[in-house]
Amino acid sequence: MVGFVVVSHSRALARAAVALAEEMVPAERRPRVEVAAGLDEDTLGTDAEAISTALESLLGGDDPADGVLVVLDLGSAILSAEMALEFVDPDVAARVRLSPAPLVEGLIAAFVTASTGAGLDAVASDAEGGLRAKQEHLGAQDAPVSEEPDGEASEEGELTWSATLSNPHGLHARPAAVLVQALSDADADVQLTDVTNGNGPVPAANMLMLTTLDARNGDELRATITGPDAAQARDALQAWADGGFGEAPQG
Amino acid sequence: MTALTADKAAAWMADFAASIAENAELLTDLDRQIGDADHGSNMNRGMKAVCALGSEFPDAPALLKKVGMTLVNSVGGASGPLYGTFFLRLAKELPSSGDATPEVWGKALRAGLQGILDRGKAKVGDKTMVDALTPAVDAYDEAVTGGAEFGQALQAAAAACAEGRDSTVDLVAHKGRASYLGERSKGVQDPGATSVTLLLESAARTLA
Repeated sequence: MVGFVVVSHSRALARAAVALAEEMVPAERRPRVEVAAGLDEDTLGTDAEAISTALESLLGGDDPADGVLVVLDLGSAILSAEMALEFVDPDVAARVRLSPAPLVEGLIAAFVTASTGAGLDAVASDAEGGLRAKQEHLGAQDAPVSEEPDGEASEEGELTWSATLSNPHGLHARPAAVLVQALSDADADVQLTDVTNGNGPVPAANMLMLTTLDARNGDELRATITGPDAAQARDALQAWADGGFGEAPQG
Repeated sequence: MTALTADKAAAWMADFAASIAENAELLTDLDRQIGDADHGSNMNRGMKAVCALGSEFPDAPALLKKVGMTLVNSVGGASGPLYGTFFLRLAKELPSSGDATPEVWGKALRAGLQGILDRGKAKVGDKTMVDALTPAVDAYDEAVTGGAEFGQALQAAAAACAEGRDSTVDLVAHKGRASYLGERSKGVQDPGATSVTLLLESAARTLA
Protein backbone atom coordinates (compact mmCIF):
# COMPACT_ATOMS: atom_id res chain seq x y z
CA MET A 1 0.00 0.00 0.00
CA VAL A 2 1.17 3.54 -0.74
CA GLY A 3 1.98 5.55 2.37
CA PHE A 4 1.89 9.27 3.15
CA VAL A 5 4.02 11.94 4.73
CA VAL A 6 2.11 15.05 5.72
CA VAL A 7 4.31 18.14 5.78
CA SER A 8 2.91 21.28 7.31
CA HIS A 9 4.11 24.27 9.30
CA SER A 10 1.66 23.23 11.99
CA ARG A 11 1.70 19.88 13.73
CA ALA A 12 -1.89 20.42 14.83
CA LEU A 13 -2.99 21.11 11.25
CA ALA A 14 -1.22 18.01 9.94
CA ARG A 15 -2.73 15.79 12.62
CA ALA A 16 -6.20 17.16 11.98
CA ALA A 17 -5.84 16.58 8.23
CA VAL A 18 -4.82 12.98 8.97
CA ALA A 19 -7.83 12.56 11.25
CA LEU A 20 -10.15 13.79 8.49
CA ALA A 21 -8.63 11.33 6.04
CA GLU A 22 -8.72 8.43 8.49
CA GLU A 23 -12.41 8.98 9.02
CA MET A 24 -12.90 7.87 5.40
CA VAL A 25 -11.38 4.42 5.75
CA PRO A 26 -11.90 1.62 8.30
CA ALA A 27 -8.92 1.27 10.62
CA GLU A 28 -7.76 -2.09 9.29
CA ARG A 29 -7.47 -0.80 5.72
CA ARG A 30 -5.79 2.52 6.37
CA PRO A 31 -2.56 3.43 4.63
CA ARG A 32 0.40 4.35 6.82
CA VAL A 33 0.88 8.05 7.48
CA GLU A 34 3.77 9.92 9.05
CA VAL A 35 3.45 13.53 10.16
CA ALA A 36 6.50 15.76 9.68
CA ALA A 37 5.12 19.10 10.74
CA GLY A 38 6.01 21.95 13.05
CA LEU A 39 9.30 22.31 14.90
CA ASP A 40 7.55 21.06 18.02
CA GLU A 41 3.99 20.91 19.31
CA ASP A 42 3.52 24.68 19.17
CA THR A 43 6.27 26.17 17.03
CA LEU A 44 5.33 26.65 13.40
CA GLY A 45 7.90 25.49 10.90
CA THR A 46 9.13 22.66 8.71
CA ASP A 47 12.23 20.54 9.03
CA ALA A 48 13.86 18.71 6.13
CA GLU A 49 15.50 16.21 8.46
CA ALA A 50 12.20 15.25 10.05
CA ILE A 51 10.77 14.70 6.57
CA SER A 52 13.66 12.50 5.48
CA THR A 53 13.33 10.47 8.69
CA ALA A 54 9.62 9.97 7.98
CA LEU A 55 10.36 8.86 4.42
CA GLU A 56 12.96 6.37 5.61
CA SER A 57 10.61 5.01 8.22
CA LEU A 58 7.90 4.34 5.62
CA LEU A 59 10.16 3.04 2.88
CA GLY A 60 12.78 1.17 4.90
CA GLY A 61 12.43 -1.81 7.19
CA ASP A 62 10.85 -5.20 6.60
CA ASP A 63 7.53 -4.03 5.28
CA PRO A 64 8.12 -0.93 3.17
CA ALA A 65 5.22 1.03 1.71
CA ASP A 66 4.66 0.73 -2.06
CA GLY A 67 5.81 4.30 -2.55
CA VAL A 68 5.09 7.47 -0.60
CA LEU A 69 3.05 10.50 -1.52
CA VAL A 70 4.13 13.64 0.30
CA VAL A 71 1.34 16.17 0.75
CA LEU A 72 2.37 19.62 1.90
CA ASP A 73 1.17 23.06 2.74
CA LEU A 74 3.24 25.95 1.40
CA GLY A 75 6.50 27.84 1.31
CA SER A 76 9.18 26.18 3.40
CA ALA A 77 7.20 22.93 3.39
CA ILE A 78 8.03 22.60 -0.29
CA LEU A 79 11.67 23.62 0.06
CA SER A 80 12.16 21.32 3.04
CA ALA A 81 10.52 18.37 1.26
CA GLU A 82 12.73 18.86 -1.79
CA MET A 83 15.75 19.05 0.46
CA ALA A 84 14.68 15.87 2.28
CA LEU A 85 14.75 14.03 -1.05
CA GLU A 86 18.42 14.96 -1.33
CA PHE A 87 19.12 13.62 2.17
CA VAL A 88 17.65 10.15 1.67
CA ASP A 89 19.11 7.29 -0.31
CA PRO A 90 18.44 7.74 -4.06
CA ASP A 91 16.68 4.37 -3.95
CA VAL A 92 14.27 5.78 -1.35
CA ALA A 93 13.87 9.10 -3.18
CA ALA A 94 12.90 7.28 -6.36
CA ARG A 95 9.81 5.90 -4.60
CA VAL A 96 8.60 9.28 -3.35
CA ARG A 97 6.34 11.80 -5.06
CA LEU A 98 5.79 15.37 -3.86
CA SER A 99 2.19 16.30 -4.51
CA PRO A 100 1.12 19.73 -5.79
CA ALA A 101 -2.35 18.99 -4.43
CA PRO A 102 -4.03 21.14 -1.77
CA LEU A 103 -3.15 19.59 1.58
CA VAL A 104 -6.54 18.68 3.04
CA GLU A 105 -8.45 17.79 -0.13
CA GLY A 106 -5.47 16.07 -1.70
CA LEU A 107 -4.74 13.94 1.34
CA ILE A 108 -8.36 12.84 1.76
CA ALA A 109 -8.77 11.87 -1.90
CA ALA A 110 -5.44 10.11 -2.11
CA PHE A 111 -5.86 8.34 1.22
CA VAL A 112 -9.05 6.64 0.04
CA THR A 113 -7.45 5.67 -3.27
CA ALA A 114 -4.37 4.30 -1.51
CA SER A 115 -6.53 2.21 0.80
CA THR A 116 -7.73 0.21 -2.21
CA GLY A 117 -4.17 -0.85 -2.93
CA ALA A 118 -3.81 1.50 -5.92
CA GLY A 119 -0.29 2.36 -7.07
CA LEU A 120 1.57 5.64 -6.58
CA ASP A 121 0.57 7.04 -9.99
CA ALA A 122 -3.14 6.61 -9.30
CA VAL A 123 -2.82 7.89 -5.74
CA ALA A 124 -0.87 10.97 -6.86
CA SER A 125 -3.32 11.66 -9.65
CA ASP A 126 -6.33 11.47 -7.33
CA ALA A 127 -4.63 13.84 -4.90
CA GLU A 128 -4.19 16.35 -7.70
CA GLY A 129 -7.86 16.02 -8.56
CA GLY A 130 -8.65 16.83 -4.95
CA LEU A 131 -10.15 20.23 -5.72
CA ARG A 132 -12.51 18.94 -8.37
CA ALA A 133 -15.58 18.38 -6.21
CA LYS A 134 -15.30 21.78 -4.59
CA GLN A 135 -14.70 23.53 -7.91
CA GLU A 136 -17.70 21.90 -9.51
CA HIS A 137 -19.92 22.57 -6.55
CA LEU A 138 -18.97 26.23 -6.37
CA GLY A 139 -19.13 26.63 -10.14
CA ALA A 140 -15.52 27.57 -10.58
CA GLN A 141 -14.21 27.94 -14.10
CA ASP A 142 -12.29 25.09 -15.65
CA ALA A 143 -14.18 22.46 -13.74
CA PRO A 144 -12.80 19.40 -15.43
CA VAL A 145 -15.02 17.22 -17.55
CA SER A 146 -15.21 13.59 -16.68
CA GLU A 147 -13.79 11.15 -19.16
CA GLU A 148 -16.46 9.73 -21.37
CA PRO A 149 -16.26 6.02 -21.91
CA ASP A 150 -15.83 5.17 -25.57
CA GLY A 151 -18.91 5.29 -27.72
CA GLU A 152 -19.96 1.69 -28.09
CA ALA A 153 -23.55 1.39 -27.01
CA SER A 154 -23.10 -1.84 -25.18
CA GLU A 155 -19.85 -3.68 -24.93
CA GLU A 156 -19.88 -7.39 -24.78
CA GLY A 157 -20.15 -8.58 -21.20
CA GLU A 158 -21.28 -5.18 -19.97
CA LEU A 159 -23.58 -5.26 -16.97
CA THR A 160 -25.80 -2.51 -15.74
CA TRP A 161 -27.13 -1.74 -12.32
CA SER A 162 -29.36 0.94 -10.95
CA ALA A 163 -30.80 2.08 -7.64
CA THR A 164 -32.39 5.07 -6.00
CA LEU A 165 -30.08 6.85 -3.59
CA SER A 166 -31.69 6.70 -0.20
CA ASN A 167 -29.19 8.07 2.22
CA PRO A 168 -30.29 11.40 3.63
CA HIS A 169 -27.31 13.53 2.65
CA GLY A 170 -26.70 12.15 -0.82
CA LEU A 171 -23.48 10.77 -2.21
CA HIS A 172 -20.99 12.81 -0.20
CA ALA A 173 -17.40 11.89 0.49
CA ARG A 174 -17.85 9.24 3.17
CA PRO A 175 -20.41 7.03 1.40
CA ALA A 176 -18.40 7.51 -1.79
CA ALA A 177 -15.29 6.28 0.03
CA VAL A 178 -17.22 3.23 1.22
CA LEU A 179 -18.18 2.46 -2.38
CA VAL A 180 -14.59 2.84 -3.56
CA GLN A 181 -13.59 0.37 -0.85
CA ALA A 182 -16.39 -2.04 -1.74
CA LEU A 183 -15.35 -2.12 -5.38
CA SER A 184 -11.63 -2.35 -4.78
CA ASP A 185 -11.45 -6.15 -4.79
CA ALA A 186 -13.20 -6.56 -8.15
CA ASP A 187 -11.28 -6.30 -11.40
CA ALA A 188 -13.93 -4.28 -13.17
CA ASP A 189 -14.51 -0.80 -14.56
CA VAL A 190 -17.57 0.76 -13.00
CA GLN A 191 -18.93 4.01 -14.44
CA LEU A 192 -21.64 5.70 -12.42
CA THR A 193 -24.21 8.17 -13.71
CA ASP A 194 -26.80 10.20 -11.85
CA VAL A 195 -29.75 9.80 -14.18
CA THR A 196 -31.83 12.32 -12.27
CA ASN A 197 -29.51 15.30 -12.63
CA GLY A 198 -27.66 14.06 -15.72
CA ASN A 199 -24.19 14.17 -14.13
CA GLY A 200 -21.62 11.55 -15.03
CA PRO A 201 -20.59 9.02 -15.95
CA VAL A 202 -17.65 9.07 -13.55
CA PRO A 203 -15.36 6.22 -12.51
CA ALA A 204 -16.64 4.69 -9.29
CA ALA A 205 -13.04 3.94 -8.29
CA ASN A 206 -12.45 7.63 -7.63
CA MET A 207 -14.03 8.98 -4.47
CA LEU A 208 -13.86 12.63 -5.43
CA MET A 209 -15.17 12.03 -8.94
CA LEU A 210 -18.11 10.26 -7.32
CA THR A 211 -18.84 13.32 -5.25
CA THR A 212 -18.88 15.46 -8.41
CA LEU A 213 -22.05 13.60 -9.41
CA ASP A 214 -23.71 15.76 -6.79
CA ALA A 215 -26.18 12.91 -6.31
CA ARG A 216 -28.89 13.80 -3.81
CA ASN A 217 -31.30 11.74 -1.80
CA GLY A 218 -33.87 10.29 -4.20
CA ASP A 219 -31.68 10.49 -7.31
CA GLU A 220 -31.50 7.47 -9.55
CA LEU A 221 -28.00 6.08 -9.98
CA ARG A 222 -27.07 3.91 -12.90
CA ALA A 223 -23.84 1.97 -13.34
CA THR A 224 -22.29 0.33 -16.36
CA ILE A 225 -19.83 -2.37 -15.41
CA THR A 226 -17.22 -4.06 -17.58
CA GLY A 227 -14.31 -6.35 -16.90
CA PRO A 228 -13.63 -9.90 -15.74
CA ASP A 229 -15.20 -9.36 -12.32
CA ALA A 230 -18.21 -7.35 -13.54
CA ALA A 231 -20.68 -9.60 -11.73
CA GLN A 232 -18.76 -9.32 -8.47
CA ALA A 233 -18.70 -5.54 -8.86
CA ARG A 234 -22.46 -5.48 -9.43
CA ASP A 235 -22.96 -7.52 -6.26
CA ALA A 236 -20.74 -5.07 -4.41
CA LEU A 237 -22.81 -2.15 -5.68
CA GLN A 238 -25.99 -3.87 -4.54
CA ALA A 239 -24.49 -4.66 -1.15
CA TRP A 240 -23.46 -1.02 -0.85
CA ALA A 241 -27.02 0.07 -1.65
CA ASP A 242 -28.52 -2.50 0.72
CA GLY A 243 -26.21 -1.30 3.45
CA GLY A 244 -27.67 2.21 3.27
CA PHE A 245 -25.19 3.48 0.64
CA GLY A 246 -22.36 3.44 3.09
CA GLU A 247 -24.28 5.18 5.83
CA ALA A 248 -26.15 3.50 8.61
CA PRO A 249 -29.80 4.52 8.42
CA GLN A 250 -30.48 7.29 10.87
CA GLY A 251 -32.88 6.93 13.72
CA MET B 1 45.53 36.08 4.60
CA THR B 2 45.24 33.67 7.49
CA ALA B 3 44.29 30.05 7.09
CA LEU B 4 40.67 28.98 7.22
CA THR B 5 40.44 27.09 10.48
CA ALA B 6 37.44 25.76 12.32
CA ASP B 7 37.99 28.57 14.84
CA LYS B 8 37.84 31.16 12.08
CA ALA B 9 34.59 29.74 10.72
CA ALA B 10 33.22 29.62 14.27
CA ALA B 11 34.11 33.28 14.73
CA TRP B 12 32.20 34.11 11.56
CA MET B 13 29.16 32.23 12.85
CA ALA B 14 29.37 33.82 16.30
CA ASP B 15 29.55 37.27 14.74
CA PHE B 16 26.63 36.50 12.44
CA ALA B 17 24.61 35.12 15.35
CA ALA B 18 25.23 38.31 17.34
CA SER B 19 24.28 40.42 14.35
CA ILE B 20 21.07 38.44 13.85
CA ALA B 21 20.20 38.74 17.54
CA GLU B 22 20.78 42.48 17.36
CA ASN B 23 18.62 42.84 14.26
CA ALA B 24 15.99 40.19 15.02
CA GLU B 25 13.37 42.76 15.76
CA LEU B 26 14.07 44.65 12.52
CA LEU B 27 13.95 41.44 10.49
CA THR B 28 10.70 40.34 12.05
CA ASP B 29 9.22 43.78 11.60
CA LEU B 30 10.09 43.82 7.87
CA ASP B 31 8.60 40.36 7.61
CA ARG B 32 5.49 41.49 9.46
CA GLN B 33 4.86 44.02 6.71
CA ILE B 34 5.25 41.67 3.75
CA GLY B 35 5.41 38.15 5.12
CA ASP B 36 4.54 36.13 8.16
CA ALA B 37 6.45 38.04 10.83
CA ASP B 38 8.86 35.29 11.75
CA HIS B 39 12.14 35.89 9.89
CA GLY B 40 13.93 37.50 12.83
CA SER B 41 12.76 35.00 15.41
CA ASN B 42 13.36 32.05 13.04
CA MET B 43 16.91 33.12 12.17
CA ASN B 44 17.62 33.94 15.79
CA ARG B 45 16.48 30.49 16.89
CA GLY B 46 18.61 28.91 14.15
CA MET B 47 21.75 30.86 14.93
CA LYS B 48 21.36 30.23 18.67
CA ALA B 49 21.30 26.53 17.84
CA VAL B 50 24.43 27.06 15.74
CA CYS B 51 26.18 28.79 18.65
CA ALA B 52 25.35 25.82 20.86
CA LEU B 53 27.18 23.41 18.55
CA GLY B 54 30.40 23.54 20.57
CA SER B 55 33.91 23.42 19.20
CA GLU B 56 34.51 19.78 18.38
CA PHE B 57 35.10 20.30 14.67
CA PRO B 58 38.24 19.12 12.89
CA ASP B 59 38.08 21.80 10.21
CA ALA B 60 36.04 24.70 8.83
CA PRO B 61 34.07 22.74 6.18
CA ALA B 62 32.98 20.22 8.84
CA LEU B 63 31.71 23.06 11.02
CA LEU B 64 29.95 24.86 8.17
CA LYS B 65 28.28 21.64 7.04
CA LYS B 66 26.95 21.18 10.56
CA VAL B 67 25.78 24.80 10.53
CA GLY B 68 23.80 24.03 7.37
CA MET B 69 22.11 21.00 8.89
CA THR B 70 21.40 22.84 12.12
CA LEU B 71 19.66 25.67 10.28
CA VAL B 72 17.67 23.12 8.27
CA ASN B 73 16.17 21.60 11.38
CA SER B 74 15.87 24.61 13.63
CA VAL B 75 14.86 27.65 11.59
CA GLY B 76 11.44 26.41 10.50
CA GLY B 77 10.69 28.88 7.73
CA ALA B 78 11.96 28.97 4.16
CA SER B 79 15.23 30.45 5.43
CA GLY B 80 16.01 27.03 6.95
CA PRO B 81 16.37 25.13 3.68
CA LEU B 82 17.72 28.23 1.90
CA TYR B 83 20.48 29.12 4.36
CA GLY B 84 20.97 25.41 5.01
CA THR B 85 21.63 24.75 1.33
CA PHE B 86 23.92 27.78 1.15
CA PHE B 87 26.15 26.46 3.93
CA LEU B 88 26.11 22.85 2.74
CA ARG B 89 27.19 23.84 -0.77
CA LEU B 90 29.72 26.36 0.55
CA ALA B 91 31.25 23.74 2.84
CA LYS B 92 31.55 21.28 -0.01
CA GLU B 93 33.78 23.65 -1.97
CA LEU B 94 36.06 24.61 0.91
CA PRO B 95 39.22 22.56 1.56
CA SER B 96 39.59 20.86 4.93
CA SER B 97 43.30 21.72 4.77
CA GLY B 98 42.48 25.33 5.58
CA ASP B 99 44.26 26.47 2.44
CA ALA B 100 41.37 28.46 1.00
CA THR B 101 42.64 30.95 -1.57
CA PRO B 102 40.46 33.93 -2.57
CA GLU B 103 39.67 32.02 -5.79
CA VAL B 104 38.52 28.95 -3.84
CA TRP B 105 36.34 31.18 -1.65
CA GLY B 106 34.88 32.70 -4.81
CA LYS B 107 33.97 29.27 -6.10
CA ALA B 108 32.47 28.35 -2.73
CA LEU B 109 30.37 31.52 -2.48
CA ARG B 110 29.17 30.99 -6.04
CA ALA B 111 28.20 27.39 -5.19
CA GLY B 112 26.30 28.62 -2.14
CA LEU B 113 24.43 31.16 -4.24
CA GLN B 114 23.66 28.49 -6.83
CA GLY B 115 22.31 26.30 -4.02
CA ILE B 116 19.90 29.04 -3.02
CA LEU B 117 18.84 29.52 -6.65
CA ASP B 118 18.28 25.78 -7.07
CA ARG B 119 16.34 25.50 -3.83
CA GLY B 120 14.15 28.61 -4.00
CA LYS B 121 13.93 28.99 -7.78
CA ALA B 122 13.95 32.77 -7.38
CA LYS B 123 15.52 35.09 -9.94
CA VAL B 124 17.08 38.50 -9.57
CA GLY B 125 14.19 40.96 -9.34
CA ASP B 126 11.85 38.65 -7.40
CA LYS B 127 12.49 40.58 -4.16
CA THR B 128 14.39 37.91 -2.27
CA MET B 129 17.83 37.31 -0.76
CA VAL B 130 18.96 36.52 -4.32
CA ASP B 131 18.74 40.25 -5.15
CA ALA B 132 21.43 40.92 -2.56
CA LEU B 133 23.59 37.81 -2.77
CA THR B 134 23.92 37.76 -6.57
CA PRO B 135 25.57 41.19 -6.89
CA ALA B 136 27.63 40.36 -3.80
CA VAL B 137 29.18 37.26 -5.36
CA ASP B 138 29.67 39.10 -8.65
CA ALA B 139 31.43 41.96 -6.88
CA TYR B 140 33.60 39.49 -4.97
CA ASP B 141 34.73 37.79 -8.19
CA GLU B 142 35.35 41.09 -9.87
CA ALA B 143 37.50 42.28 -6.99
CA VAL B 144 39.55 39.07 -6.94
CA THR B 145 40.04 39.17 -10.70
CA GLY B 146 41.20 42.77 -10.32
CA GLY B 147 43.89 41.63 -7.88
CA ALA B 148 42.19 42.54 -4.59
CA GLU B 149 43.13 40.85 -1.34
CA PHE B 150 40.65 38.45 0.24
CA GLY B 151 39.59 41.01 2.83
CA GLN B 152 39.05 43.71 0.22
CA ALA B 153 37.04 41.34 -1.92
CA LEU B 154 34.81 40.51 1.04
CA GLN B 155 34.35 44.23 1.71
CA ALA B 156 33.33 44.72 -1.90
CA ALA B 157 30.91 41.80 -1.63
CA ALA B 158 29.32 43.18 1.54
CA ALA B 159 28.92 46.62 -0.02
CA ALA B 160 27.31 45.19 -3.15
CA CYS B 161 25.09 43.01 -0.99
CA ALA B 162 23.85 46.07 0.90
CA GLU B 163 23.16 47.86 -2.38
CA GLY B 164 21.23 44.85 -3.64
CA ARG B 165 19.32 44.72 -0.37
CA ASP B 166 18.35 48.38 -0.78
CA SER B 167 17.17 47.68 -4.32
CA THR B 168 14.53 45.27 -2.98
CA VAL B 169 12.53 48.15 -1.48
CA ASP B 170 11.06 49.13 -4.83
CA LEU B 171 10.52 45.58 -6.09
CA VAL B 172 7.29 43.63 -6.21
CA ALA B 173 7.64 40.19 -4.63
CA HIS B 174 7.33 37.15 -6.88
CA LYS B 175 8.44 34.47 -4.43
CA GLY B 176 7.60 33.47 -0.91
CA ARG B 177 4.83 34.64 1.37
CA ALA B 178 5.26 38.26 0.22
CA SER B 179 4.21 37.30 -3.31
CA TYR B 180 0.63 36.91 -2.03
CA LEU B 181 0.67 40.68 -1.52
CA GLY B 182 1.57 41.50 -5.14
CA GLU B 183 1.93 45.25 -5.65
CA ARG B 184 1.41 45.85 -1.95
CA SER B 185 4.81 44.28 -1.27
CA LYS B 186 6.43 47.37 -2.80
CA GLY B 187 8.02 49.89 -0.45
CA VAL B 188 9.33 47.39 2.09
CA GLN B 189 12.88 46.04 2.16
CA ASP B 190 13.07 42.28 1.79
CA PRO B 191 13.85 40.52 5.09
CA GLY B 192 15.91 37.74 3.47
CA ALA B 193 18.01 40.25 1.53
CA THR B 194 18.52 42.06 4.83
CA SER B 195 19.72 38.99 6.74
CA VAL B 196 22.03 37.78 3.97
CA THR B 197 23.69 41.21 3.99
CA LEU B 198 24.35 40.72 7.70
CA LEU B 199 25.99 37.40 6.80
CA LEU B 200 28.32 39.01 4.26
CA GLU B 201 29.12 41.90 6.59
CA SER B 202 30.04 39.36 9.26
CA ALA B 203 32.25 37.55 6.77
CA ALA B 204 34.08 40.78 5.94
CA ARG B 205 34.63 41.45 9.65
CA THR B 206 35.86 38.00 10.63
CA LEU B 207 37.26 35.92 7.78
CA ALA B 208 40.16 37.89 6.32
